[in-house]
Amino acid sequence: MSLDRKKNLFPFLVAIPLLFAGCGNREPESIKSGSKVSPDAVVSVVAVRRAVKAGGDEVLLVPASAIFRKGELTGIFVAGADNRLSVRWISTGRFMQGDLVVLGGLDKGEFVVGVYSPELVEGVTVIKSVTAEDQTNE
Amino acid sequence: MNEGIAGKLAKQFINSKITPLLMVASLLVGIMATFMTPREEEPQIVVPMVDLYIPYPGATPAEVESRVAKSVERTLTEIPGVDYVYSTSMPDFAVVTVRYKVGEDAEKSMVKLWSTLMKNMDKMPPGVQFPLMKKVSIDDVPVLNLTFWSKTKDPFELRKTAVGVADELKKIKSIGDVDIKGGLKRQVKIVLDKEKLRQFNVSPLQIARQVQMANSQMTSGDFKQMNQEIVVRSGRFLESASDVGNIVVGIYGASPVYLRDVASVVDGPEEVNNYNFFGWGAAAPKGSASGEYPAVTLTVAKRQGSDASKLADKVLARVEELKKSSIPAGVTVSETRNYGATATDKVTTLLEHLLMAVVAVTIVVGFFLGWRGALVVLASVPITFALTLLIYYLLDYSLNRVTLFALIFVTGIVVDDSIIIAENIHRHFAMKRQPKLQAAITAINEVGNPTILATFTVIAAVLPMVFVSGLMGPYMSPMPIGASLAMIFSLLVALIATPWLSFRLLKTEEGHHEEYDISKTAYYRLFNAILSPFIESSFKRWVAFGVVGLMLVGAIALVPLKAVQMKMLPFDNKNEFQVIIDMPEGTALEQTARVTKEISAYLKTVPEVRSYQYYVGTNAPINFNGLVRHYYLRQAKNMGDIQVNLVPKDERKAQSHDIAKKVRAGVQQIAMRYNANAKIVEIPPGPPVLSTLVAEIYGPSQEQQIALAKQVKKVFEETPGVVDVDWMVEADQKVYNLVVNKERAAFRGVTAEQIAQTLRMSLAGMDVGVLHTDKELEPVMIQVRLPQSDRTSLQDLSGIFVQSQGMGTLTTRLRAGEMIPLSELVKVEEKIQDKSIYRKDLRRVVYVTADVAGATESPVYAMLDMDKKIEKLKVPGGYRVSPLYTANPTSEEKLSMKWDGEWQITFEVFRDLGTAFAVVLVIIYLLIIGWFQSFKTPLIMMIAIPLSLVGIIPGHLLHGAFFTATSMIGMIALAGIMVRNSVLLIDFIQIRRAEGADLKQAVIESAAVRTRPIILTSGAVVIGSIVMLFDPIFQGLAISLIWGGVLSTILTLVVVPIVYYMVEKKSAKR
Repeated sequence: MSLDRKKNLFPFLVAIPLLFAGCGNREPESIKSGSKVSPDAVVSVVAVRRAVKAGGDEVLLVPASAIFRKGELTGIFVAGADNRLSVRWISTGRFMQGDLVVLGGLDKGEFVVGVYSPELVEGVTVIKSVTAEDQTNE
Repeated sequence: MNEGIAGKLAKQFINSKITPLLMVASLLVGIMATFMTPREEEPQIVVPMVDLYIPYPGATPAEVESRVAKSVERTLTEIPGVDYVYSTSMPDFAVVTVRYKVGEDAEKSMVKLWSTLMKNMDKMPPGVQFPLMKKVSIDDVPVLNLTFWSKTKDPFELRKTAVGVADELKKIKSIGDVDIKGGLKRQVKIVLDKEKLRQFNVSPLQIARQVQMANSQMTSGDFKQMNQEIVVRSGRFLESASDVGNIVVGIYGASPVYLRDVASVVDGPEEVNNYNFFGWGAAAPKGSASGEYPAVTLTVAKRQGSDASKLADKVLARVEELKKSSIPAGVTVSETRNYGATATDKVTTLLEHLLMAVVAVTIVVGFFLGWRGALVVLASVPITFALTLLIYYLLDYSLNRVTLFALIFVTGIVVDDSIIIAENIHRHFAMKRQPKLQAAITAINEVGNPTILATFTVIAAVLPMVFVSGLMGPYMSPMPIGASLAMIFSLLVALIATPWLSFRLLKTEEGHHEEYDISKTAYYRLFNAILSPFIESSFKRWVAFGVVGLMLVGAIALVPLKAVQMKMLPFDNKNEFQVIIDMPEGTALEQTARVTKEISAYLKTVPEVRSYQYYVGTNAPINFNGLVRHYYLRQAKNMGDIQVNLVPKDERKAQSHDIAKKVRAGVQQIAMRYNANAKIVEIPPGPPVLSTLVAEIYGPSQEQQIALAKQVKKVFEETPGVVDVDWMVEADQKVYNLVVNKERAAFRGVTAEQIAQTLRMSLAGMDVGVLHTDKELEPVMIQVRLPQSDRTSLQDLSGIFVQSQGMGTLTTRLRAGEMIPLSELVKVEEKIQDKSIYRKDLRRVVYVTADVAGATESPVYAMLDMDKKIEKLKVPGGYRVSPLYTANPTSEEKLSMKWDGEWQITFEVFRDLGTAFAVVLVIIYLLIIGWFQSFKTPLIMMIAIPLSLVGIIPGHLLHGAFFTATSMIGMIALAGIMVRNSVLLIDFIQIRRAEGADLKQAVIESAAVRTRPIILTSGAVVIGSIVMLFDPIFQGLAISLIWGGVLSTILTLVVVPIVYYMVEKKSAKR
């Protein structure tokens, strides 16, 4: 019966596009409008720092200038290990000398874009330029 | 020749004017029924399931278990009709789930449950609050999800828009529950300022009390004056944030302290408690936005018995109108689930399949009987289906994937009766022994009665499937009922309509009046050549039997050799799947959102993904699977759900199951980095279960159970093909226990309750009332809470004060109203949160769950694999744990394990189907005895039944398919069809012998004469089934019918006549 041959061919037909599917994944998404941050732009980032509060509790700090708000949501741009920008939603506590205490959503040592600007676009690959901050409490 | 029922019926109708009218009328009611029967995706399954939420504030899981869960369970198991009772004892409350037997009346069950519970409420310990009862039913599953997302609007605004739309949609008739997932509600937040509170000497509790008291209004009564009744009202509700701010909460010095002095009153979105986003995937329509956007999902459920597709269309049309008015321009509404469309899709696919099958069968018939014969057969099918659909409508069935399955299944069978009658009329016309009308009636008489018998054997074959019990029952029952009805109608059509049509359409060729001689036909020569050697030589006969026997043994041997694997049901090709993410307990909401987002970002790149939504902090809109798995309770901070929508199945090559398998590795790699557990959840084709593989671990203590569970989990993880391993044991979560120093509290005039309430208000917040506005559609709560920045550590908590109620002793005098810092009254103890206790049917249980994919697709083989490893596990006491399969463990003294999950249903289904098959055989035997009045003849006829296995099992091997429940159904149905063939064969032999023919001659003639109808009818079954071959679920059925049909038809035509000859030889000689 010719049907079973068709049936046996079927997995191969399925497998072919799958084999190729893995190839295109890593390309950055295309950017449409010109005013956005272009790929491979240099963006100044700072590391999420750890500080010790008066009571002995450890807290994580980010510059207050780095965050942006969307209604009640608090966001921050993170430059990942693959140099891609992504939005991270965080919850923040109180101010500590121009920095904000991060309560959830970030890890120590992650790089965040130091100053938020509306031009930042999620998914773009950038070149990180690390700005060292003077008051590292390590 | 004497006339049977068939002949009498035919005589009545063959020239009656009423026959065409009947045919037209049946067609019309059928068409009407097709449009009136409600369409939906899932069958209407009545599984009364009730969730009881019993709060017991302050109790540990162990207390909840022993005082509440145990006693409730015990009383609930007394209720007749209760199948299972599950419970989960968590800190502060218990969830008890009662599952009734499938098919129990939902309302009656609720009443019984209610009365039993009420009877025992007095036995509850003090402190237990009134239970909340929630009936869970299939109609709670939303049929339509609309996701509102926007580039510019925030969750608060989105929710407001969605609420407005929901309010409008509610006005549509036959709409069920409309719910909104995600977004932020409007709230009046009273954000306490700790410093000011202390400064003005006001405590949080005081504020709560004052707000509650200020927010009241009532009718005081009326008085009479001048013949008129005048109503007096007093008080005024709080209507705005400034009303709230102006409440006087205390007196400081000589001036009033307003609430706005000690707290900021903010009217706006509530604090972030969920992250819900929408994004397009790689297969999005061209020009779609690339990022991900805050989203709110509106879910629409339907009312019981209404049509999902009509409702969905109405809702969508209404939303389209609302886009002009209440939906702002920046908000996009995307349809993220539409079961109405999928239901319509299923119906259309079925109709296509039916049409293809009917056309294919017609062509085959045309090949043998000419186009006129084909036309007769073609006309009879729509009438049969029209009547069956009418019965579906009258029996309150909906058109869903199960009822449609029944129709597809019978396509090949319902044409058979008409084929047999038409073929015989055709043959008699061709023989030209009698005038036309007489020939037709003789033809009907000849095959009419065996056809009736044959129809009833097929009905006898499928009908016992009604008795499949358990969750699979409702999935199965429409099929035997639908198929049996269709068979009866097809019989009536064959006896009434077919003769009428044949008489008018079939031609007797005029001209050559040559006497018909059977021995000159090709069939006769063929069978003479094949059968004669076996009839003449008993040696050759035995060799032939030996060969057939060997083929049968060989075919059956494929099953234990694992060449053909058993599985309950294969995965359907759906347009969606879900990813369920569990972070360790105690993970912050933002961290969960981050992991979920990262996994979504990966899924987005998968070429078949059209769009995705993720839900963190709220549950995703549930489906039928989620209903049974209690996914609607997934609202904790450590849980995230991703709903992945794929491109429609006709636009992609890969099956959804293959896509799910493909992404699993990528998803779990990301999850692993964050210590999360991610599962890919597909919609099961059959009844949903907790998980495909479930190991229930019983034992004397929770520690021992967890220890064994850990080992079992390890075995799961090490077994190839077992994926998505998880267990229902929470991770260690840190708890600060603030222990009240009772003596000190007493000396300070503070009660423990005050402390507890103050703490709760500060941390979790407390709703102290509702804002009374007319405009708002959702209630606006007034909440008292500390700002988030003031509740980040224990240090922050110590700055909270409670108010002393005054205390006088011999030595000290403490004035009421003094503010006492909490830190003075409590001591902090750090400990690990107690773990939830699960119970099933009155036993403590720990679940280890997993799915199977990849190396093995069938859980049974994975289970057998793991059994050996589990038996080797070392447990305290030194005994062996051998997993149980069907029975519950006899005692909890020793550790034990039982398999559950899909296995339980598989076991029940195959057990019931097996029993059904045995009953089928007995009924068929009885039916044939009744007809042929012989004990031997039925046995000869039933030889054909095992012969179908020779085709079925190797057929599955050939297609690389699983032997599924649908394969089994095919096998059972085939038994009926094959016996029918034998009946036709032997009936003719007996007719010929009664006419005086010699046994050998009769056998060969019968084979020759009956080959055409047998091949035609079997051919119809085979060809009608080919369209099902590419449907993942029905594949098994198609393979059974095709391969079983072909092989057993061939073997029947040879083996049955020979066996009959052999058996009858002796009696013939006498």
